[in-house]
Amino acid sequence: MIEIPHEKNETLEGMQKVMYAQNEQGTFERYNYGSSVEEFATQVAVEEYEILKKECLERIQKGEDSPIAFYMYENRMDLPTLASAVGMFQFRVKRHLKMRVFKRMSDALLQRYADAFSISLRELKEFH
Amino acid sequence: MTPMPFKHAQFAHCESGVMATLFSAYGFPLSEPMAFGLAHALSFVYLPFVKVNNLPLIAYRSLPKSIIKTLSKSLHVTMKTQTFKGEKEANEALKDLVKEGKIVGLQTSVYYLPYFPKDMRFHFNAHNLLVYGMEEENYRISDPVFEEAVVCSQEGLSKARFAKGVFAPKGFMYYPKNMPQEVDMHAILHKAIVKNAKAMLTPFPFAGVKGMQKLAQKILSLQTEENQRYVKNYLTHIVRMQEEIGTGGGGFRFVYAAFLQEAKGYGLNEMLLEEASALLVKSGSALREFALYCVEGSKKPQSLNTQKIATKLIEASTYEEKAFRLLKALE
Repeated sequence: MIEIPHEKNETLEGMQKVMYAQNEQGTFERYNYGSSVEEFATQVAVEEYEILKKECLERIQKGEDSPIAFYMYENRMDLPTLASAVGMFQFRVKRHLKMRVFKRMSDALLQRYADAFSISLRELKEFH
Repeated sequence: MTPMPFKHAQFAHCESGVMATLFSAYGFPLSEPMAFGLAHALSFVYLPFVKVNNLPLIAYRSLPKSIIKTLSKSLHVTMKTQTFKGEKEANEALKDLVKEGKIVGLQTSVYYLPYFPKDMRFHFNAHNLLVYGMEEENYRISDPVFEEAVVCSQEGLSKARFAKGVFAPKGFMYYPKNMPQEVDMHAILHKAIVKNAKAMLTPFPFAGVKGMQKLAQKILSLQTEENQRYVKNYLTHIVRMQEEIGTGGGGFRFVYAAFLQEAKGYGLNEMLLEEASALLVKSGSALREFALYCVEGSKKPQSLNTQKIATKLIEASTYEEKAFRLLKALE
């Protein structure tokens, strides 16, 4: 018999997912369930981005990382996802994650990142 | 061809759910397990050299879009499919179809769908949903993994349809142009089951039963890994790929078990289907326990026991090997 968990999963904000399990006659039906295992896995992934953001802010203060790096994590992206979102090669985007390079970037180029992050050019340039 | 009045239903997995609803709405009643099984969509893939957020690609079912393609092909249904260059064009085409009373499937990115819970929004580009109407400028959406139908703004939906990255949807839209006539269920079930069995028993070391064993080996190697943050992320990543993206690894096994049971009664070997179905239930349950062990291991890294975790995955793989050896020889 398939066990149907009824645990809390706050990441779903009150929603429940369904799974298949057998009823008493042995026929499969759909049942709502809640899983704390799934909840934990999701929370780790969400928290990982928070940690990445925090570490990034420290590097921004040291003048190492650029605001683009921060917004990349803020938008739960990795390098390939961001590169695809702005339509550039990964090695180029990687350079833009450095403050040194960021300071010399044109507005037109920055605008492409601002669009990908759904923020204004000003928000990206006047980051603090 | 126009569909019947629309009724939302919740399913375990988005793509099989969408196809089940779509076919049923257009006059060919089809369950989710049937849609999944006929598309031979059960799979296992572990690709250490393809990275998602610096972690390997792990999948428990076939590639996105494959259920749409395979199912319609096996039932001799022509799907009208379209991708678009821009949002405006895509919206106009969608609105025209909705006005005609059509129900339309869309591929979207979970990250940009405003009605999704915040914690669930990640850059996963292959989420399928149905549009079945409009409410002023907003779309009425039947999202197969939600309990109730939802309403979504045009802006939000457009963003989700034009997300970039891996599996970028490019506005992908689809609906059936015709419905199956005189289907030889016996023949297509046999073909789909044997095909799935062969895929799961492939000699390629990163897929099917062998892929599960490969991942088990990798898990063992985490025992000596010193970067605890990496171990935690790795183990929960496995669980997320298993349980979150659509439905679980355990979940997919249960869907396939349900399919095998439904496949009885079409002149195939019933005893064999029953036995394989029971084995997949066992595998699904073992995968659930495996997920639990992964979470335990990442919660308490000091008492991490990779042997225990890997053994559970191997256990699941042996059930699947047995099941698919039986099914491969299905008469």
